[in-house]
Parts: sequence; structure tokens; C-alpha cells
Amino acid sequence: MVALAAPALAAQSPAPAALVEGPADYRGFFGGNSRLIIWIVAQLHLMFGAFVLGVPIFASIVEIIGWRSGDSRYDHLAHEFTALLSAAFSTTAAFGGLLVFALIGLYPKFMSFLTSIFHTTYYIYALLFFAEGFTLYLYYYGWGRMVGRWKGLHVFLGILLNVWGTVLMLLANAWASYMMAPSGIDKETLRFVGTTWQAVANPLWIPLAIHRFIANIAFGGFIVGAYAAIRFLGARSEAERAHYDWMGYVGNFVGLAALIPLPFAGYYLGREVYSASPVMGNNMMGGAFSWSFIIQAALIGMLFIGGNYYLWAGMGRISGAERYRPYIKYINVILLISFAVWLTPRNTPLTGEEQILLGGQFHPLLKYFGLMSAKNAAVNFIILSTFFSFLLYRRGNKGRTRPFAEHGPGGKLALALAAAVSIGVLLWYARSLLTLDPKTLDLSPDRARYFALPAYLLLGQIGMVLLTGLLTLRDLGKLAQALFFASTTLASVFVLGVYGFVIMEKANPFLRNLAVAQWLMVMVCLLWNAAIDLLLFRGAETVGGIRWGKMAARSQYALILLCVSIVMLMGLMGFIRSGLREDWHVYGVLQDTSQWAWTPTHAYMARVVGGIVLLFLGLVAFVFWLAGLGEKEEGIGRVAPAYDAPAAALTPGGGDPPGEGGSP
Amino acid sequence: MRRAFLGAVIFAVVLVLVFVWIGEVITRVSGEAGRGAPAVIAPGDITPEAGETVFWGKGKCYTCHAVGSRGNSIRGPNQGETGPLAMAIGARASERARERAQATGKPFTATDYLVESLLDPGAYVVEGYKNEMPNPLRPPISLKPEEVTAAVAYLQSLGGTVDVAAIKLPPGVEAAARAGVGGDEWRPYLSGDPKKGEDLFFDPESNAACAKCHRVKDKGGDVGPELTGVAGVRDLKFIVESILEPSKVIASGFEPILIITKADQYITGVVKGEDGSTIVVGDSQGRVLTVPKDQIKQRAPQATSVMPENFGEILTVEEFHDLLAFLQTLK
Repeated sequence: MVALAAPALAAQSPAPAALVEGPADYRGFFGGNSRLIIWIVAQLHLMFGAFVLGVPIFASIVEIIGWRSGDSRYDHLAHEFTALLSAAFSTTAAFGGLLVFALIGLYPKFMSFLTSIFHTTYYIYALLFFAEGFTLYLYYYGWGRMVGRWKGLHVFLGILLNVWGTVLMLLANAWASYMMAPSGIDKETLRFVGTTWQAVANPLWIPLAIHRFIANIAFGGFIVGAYAAIRFLGARSEAERAHYDWMGYVGNFVGLAALIPLPFAGYYLGREVYSASPVMGNNMMGGAFSWSFIIQAALIGMLFIGGNYYLWAGMGRISGAERYRPYIKYINVILLISFAVWLTPRNTPLTGEEQILLGGQFHPLLKYFGLMSAKNAAVNFIILSTFFSFLLYRRGNKGRTRPFAEHGPGGKLALALAAAVSIGVLLWYARSLLTLDPKTLDLSPDRARYFALPAYLLLGQIGMVLLTGLLTLRDLGKLAQALFFASTTLASVFVLGVYGFVIMEKANPFLRNLAVAQWLMVMVCLLWNAAIDLLLFRGAETVGGIRWGKMAARSQYALILLCVSIVMLMGLMGFIRSGLREDWHVYGVLQDTSQWAWTPTHAYMARVVGGIVLLFLGLVAFVFWLAGLGEKEEGIGRVAPAYDAPAAALTPGGGDPPGEGGSP
Repeated sequence: MRRAFLGAVIFAVVLVLVFVWIGEVITRVSGEAGRGAPAVIAPGDITPEAGETVFWGKGKCYTCHAVGSRGNSIRGPNQGETGPLAMAIGARASERARERAQATGKPFTATDYLVESLLDPGAYVVEGYKNEMPNPLRPPISLKPEEVTAAVAYLQSLGGTVDVAAIKLPPGVEAAARAGVGGDEWRPYLSGDPKKGEDLFFDPESNAACAKCHRVKDKGGDVGPELTGVAGVRDLKFIVESILEPSKVIASGFEPILIITKADQYITGVVKGEDGSTIVVGDSQGRVLTVPKDQIKQRAPQATSVMPENFGEILTVEEFHDLLAFLQTLK
């Protein structure tokens, strides 16, 4: 690098007059495009950052499961995750440093502005970085030492690592979100007159943090899944294959679990973007970035379909799961139809002849699928279907369940607790809708009647929680689950999906509240059904084993597909989030007057993001290879016990996948 | 292991290539590559057509409002005949103005209503819509007063009567618009490269090829004014207008004429010389023609410059700014 940099520096012509005479607003990167350099470095930093923030979250959870259950396989798995993390951490830091230097050098005016507001947070950030680094190394290198009675301390270090990481992310998010929604600005002079805290707590800070937090988990999960897939494909022994099959399964599980709430976090962020600036919000969904969201929908669709495909492929290694295979084709049809609705654009540029053929600017039927209401219904259906797939997978090798009474008071208490949470959430929002003042939405008082239907449906779902709870207590848990799925699908997808069109016509501002009602119904369905499922199949009869390692190679390519898709998705979303500011560094306050302040075409964006994705994947592969060097030196024996347990699953009677109910 | 890794690499590269291909297809389908710099609207050139470009461009009005079947936004009322009261905004404004006059007790014309709707959007929100429209004079939209006026003229034209003279922006609007956006001084959107601009200026095969008609020092033609030192006597806004709207101000001595010969040949150009028997004319392509006077059937002065008026279309944004950067060096 130094060898390359030296001639480049030497080749620089004498400094332009502007650089000598006074401070420059912008500088080129060795005669090149400064914005492109910042784009690439920032995106790579964000991707590595997402990985090192996402992986500790589930590494910590997996370790805790191992610690509490006494199953060392989980502990080994968590250790393996952390080995990847440790190697990626320094790369993240290096890209962070490069990004700061590049920003100071190439965009000095902008950095000066940002520093004038946020400089105190820089010191906190640096201190937190020390804390994160030291905790990570203690956590990783102390793994073998902190055992037995010290294991609790090790688990605490894992949690602490996540705390530092989350606070670090919150600070960095404050800078990024401030650029989109600056607060503490005098509207007349456009000068910053607020406090640092006001700037940190800007309107997009928390929505962005929630979105990134969840996305980081999904990102980490799918990358780990791809790592496991490659190791699986190259495995030399059955034991190794079994281990990486299990690791891939965990990666996919983590990724999918985080992916399920992600669209709603995105919806919340988008809603707040719109609230912060309708101009930016409209540009996002109806302007220059509307096509970007079509690509985004395609990528998310690929993630859901790929994740489901992997689950279905995994059912092939579970004896007994063949009972549920006939359902899969129906789930597949639902996913594909929902995906198609989600992808349908409202409007496409048409020539006059094409409009005549179509009978107007919009297709008479398909135009409805392009509206938000249809898309909300579709994404809810995709999530419900994916969760349904997962439940089928979980019960693949389960037979007769135990009578509920055998779970004792603990079981009843757990069920009651889940019911209370579910009812509480539904009741809270039903009440909010029934007491909602139309004036707050700029609607006339008579429009309040449109708030009633979703509120009554939420109350209806409370009735369903009670009914299905009673059925579960009477050992009719499977029926209870089916009924609750059906009522949620009916209410959230079909009734409110269609009702959304009425709302768009009669009380458009209420559509946001309607979307929240739909989302809450789906989330409660996931929570309540998961609670019933956990209790229902606890200690259930096993009808077959799980043959870890017996997976077709194509299923591993599904894991690689998931990884590449989410990396591309993160690259695309980075472009959207940053590009929404158009020619503003700080939206509406500090204009970007550099020669690079233009909104790229999608062709340009795709080329740049595609390049970043390949660069990132290449670097990750290199970093993981580095991490594996130590493994070879030590001989795989240290990690080898991890292989034993899943391998044992190959034998009849020992076929339980690790963990409660057959799944981690 | 190597084979597995190679398979994964090939698979990943194929996926990324598909992603890149989709981006290329979208750009071709949406035609987004054709986007250029927003047209400059001069205070004396306010027309519904100019307002239409603001509505569907810099003003971003289209991101909330459709006009009939054009556009698909539903956040704000449709401004065509499918909008509220089943009337287009130009006609609807009269009805809304009557309601506004009743509510405020002040006289309100349809145009007053339109102006108020743009500059104080929360004053009288159409029922069923949220009070969320931003003031287009303020950042990040930052329209200029003449652009707002043109947009109002466009709205008048949608079912109403266009009356540009009736459009009066409230006093102080211009000052308010200047606040925070750095005044009325025109600022380039990009930092151009003067070297590339120089190439564009002198290269006869380039999109600009200005030197065909304009001279800088000892290079270039004489059909148009010499530009050596132009940046020393003209501000940037004037130079921009001269490129994009060459007819707005025609330099003295370069007034165009139209000659119709007895053979019904039409010649448009600038008179470069004249004697008793011939007249020498420079045309828009930099050619110099000598026309015998006895062949002239008619000769008339013209209001339109011989300089092409489509540089806003044929130059890319980057080329335009490169050219500007070069012209700014001519002091």
C-alpha cells in the first residue's frame, strides 16, 4: 500500500492555488471522485460494523443457552462465532479510521460543521471503542479460563460487549441520522443553536438505531450461515459436515428471526423520515428512489424465499417431517403471490401506445397492488407464512404431545404470562385507536368512524387469545395454533388489507395507524403461537432423529444466496439512506456544492454497490481465512468436541437436534 | 475445500452481476439518465410551461400531487379533474377562494388562493389531507420567487384562466427566500473542470463548439461576441442566461436578421459587413455567407438570437459546468 501511495503522492502536481490560499471546501482524491471513495469506505465500514455488532448478540445468547442447559455444544458454537468476530473487529476499526481520514481530507467543510456540533461525542466514542476492544479480547481469550464458577463472569463479559457495541452504534447513528434530520437549527439563519444532546436525539436517531440493531443481527446470522455453508461443502468428515450443518442452521435461524420484524422497523424508520421531512419522504417512495425500493423488495423477497427453502430442505434430514411436506407447496404459492404483490410498482413509465393498450396509465387490476395497503398485507402474509414454515420444521420429528397438566404450575404460569403480554399489547392499541382524536391527523371529526374496525379486530384478537389459551389448557394446542393463525391472517391480511384501500380514499392519514394495527396483530400471533408451541412440544414424543450433515449441497447454496442478498441489501439501503439527502450534506442546512453532488442513476448505483459487495465478501473470506490459521495450528481438537454431539444425532434415538424441543 | 470455495465465489459473482444488470435495466426503463439541470426561469419569462417544469421537476410537487392521470401520487389532492370537487385546480381555486373569503372576511381571488396554498400551505388544508406540505421557498426545495410564480401560472392553466399579472407574492417573500439559501446569486450545481470546458469550447466536434462563433484571444470565429475577458465584465448568472437563453439579451452589434432571397432562400444570421452590392452574414453554424443585394427580396430584423437555444438539452450537466468553469477563467 505504501509502495503504491508513494508514486501517487509524487505524481501529484503542485497544490492548486485554492489549497494554498485558504481552506478548501472539497478536495479530490488523487484527481478522482471523492464521493465515490467515501461511499466505498463508509459502506465497507458499515458492513464490517454490522457484522461485529450483530454476531456478539447471538453469540452471547448461544453461550447463555449452553451455560444454562449444560450443553457444551452451544458453548463451542458461541466460541467459534466469536473467533470470526475477533478477526473482523480490527478490520472494522481500520476502515473506521480510513473513513475519518478520508472525510477530513476530502470534505473538510462538512467535517468542520459536524465536528462543531458533535465533537464531545467523539471522545466518548473513542473511550467506548477502547472498552469494546478490551472487553472483546477478554471475552475471546478468556473463554478457556473463565469456566466453572467463573462462567457467569464470562457470560457477563459477553453481555457487556453488546452493551458497549450498542452504545457505540447509537453514537455513530446520531451523526448519520443528524445529517438526514438535523435538530437544534434556527430556521431563519440555518445555524446550529441547540445543544449536543438535542443534535444526538434528532427525530431519526432511535428509528435508525432500531432498524440497524435488528438488521445487524440478520446480517451477522446470514454471514455466519454462508461461512458454515462453505465449510460444509468443503468438509472432509461426517463429523465436520454435521457440525457445519448445525452451524448453518443456527445462522439461518438467527437471520430469519431478525428478518421477520425488520420490515416493520423499516416501516417505522420510513414513517419517521416522512415526518421529519415530507419532501425527503416523498422522494423516497414516490421520487427518484421509488425504483430503489422495488430492488429492495426483490432482495427481501429473495431472503424470505431462500430462508424458507433452506428450512424445507432441512426437513429432509428429519425423520417424521415428511408428514408436513404436502403443506409446503401451499406456503410456496402464498410466498410467491405475496412477493409478486410486494414487487408490483404502482406506476411505470409508458409510451402513449402502451397506455392505449393498457387502457390508461395504470393497469385496471394491478394498480391496486402497487399501493401501500396491498404491500402491507403482502408483507404480513410473508411473515406469517415464514413463521408457519418454522413451526412445521420444529415439529418435524415430534409425535404425541404430553397432556398440558404435566407441565405443572410453571407451564400454566408461562402460558398466562404470554397471554397477558399479548392481551396487553392488543388492548393498548385498540384503546389508542378508539380514543384517537381525528384532529391529530388533520381529519374532520366524522372520520373517527373509520378508526373503529381495526380497533374491534384488535379486541377480537384478544378474544381469540383467551379462546386458544383455553383450548391449549384442554390439550388442543395444535387446534389453538391453527385457529389463531387463521384469525390473524383473516384480520390482518385480508380484512385490514382491503380496508386499507377504503382508508386511503376516505381518511388517508390514518393508514399509518392501520399499518401499526396489522403489524401488532402479526407480532402477537408470533409471540402467542411460539409460546403455545414451546409448551406444547416440551417433552413430546420423538418419532425420528435429525441426521445432521445429511443436507443436499444446493441447500448450502441457499445459505450463500441469503448472505449475498443481505450484503447487497445493506449496500442498497446505504445508498438510499445517504442518497435521500440529495445535494445536502446536512439536509436543508448545509448544501453539498461539490462536483459530485448528483444523484446517481440506478445503473451507476448497482455497479458501485456490486463492487462493494464483492470487495466486502472477498475481505470477509480473507479475514475468516486468517482466523482459521490459528485453528489449524492448534489442531482442530480444541473445537472437535463440538462435532461429537451433532454427529451423535445420526444414531437412532439420539436424533434430537440440540436444545429444547429439537431446535436451538 | 478449494472447490467448495470456488463454487461459492462463482455463485456470489453471478448474483452480483444479476443485481448490476437489474440496475442497468431500471435506468433504461425509467430514463433517469436523461435528467439535467433545472431550467432557469427569468422574472420576465413566467409562463405556464415554465411552471410545468417546476411542478414536475425542481419543485417536487409531483411527489405528492398527480394531475389527472399524469403521475401517481396520492399524498396531496389530485390537481386534475379527478381531484376534489371533480374540478381541476384552476377551476377549483375559484370555489375555494369563495370559501376562504367567507372564512377570513377578506377578498380572495382564485389566484390569491393559489398563492396562499403554495406559500402558506397550512392555512386552508383540503379535507382528508394532512397539513404537511412544506413551504417551497424554504430549504430543501428552495424555489425562487419567479419559480413559485410560474408554478402558480401552471396551476391557473389547469382548468382556469392564466393571468400572470394577477399573481402577486406577498411582500417580503423574496427576502425570506434569500434567508438561508445564500441570496439571489446563482451558484453552480457542480464544480466544473476548466480544462475540459476549454476543450468543449474550442473543439468543433464537441457538443458546445462555441469557438465556431465566439473568439477568445486569437482563436475562434466572429459571428458572436468575443468572449475574451467576459468573466471580468459579466456575472455568472448573466453568463448562464446567455448560454441557456441567448435571445434574452442580444449583444449590441449582433442583432440577428432574416433575409429572404428572390430564390425564396431563407438566411438567418448576424450582419458582419455590408457594402453597396453585397451583405455578409454569419449564421448559427459559424459560416459566413455573402449575399448579393440584388438577390434580396426581403430583409427584416429578428428578435431571436442566431445562437442555438438548446444548449440546456444537448450539454450534460457536467459539460455545462465545465464550460462555465472555463468561461469564469476569462477575466
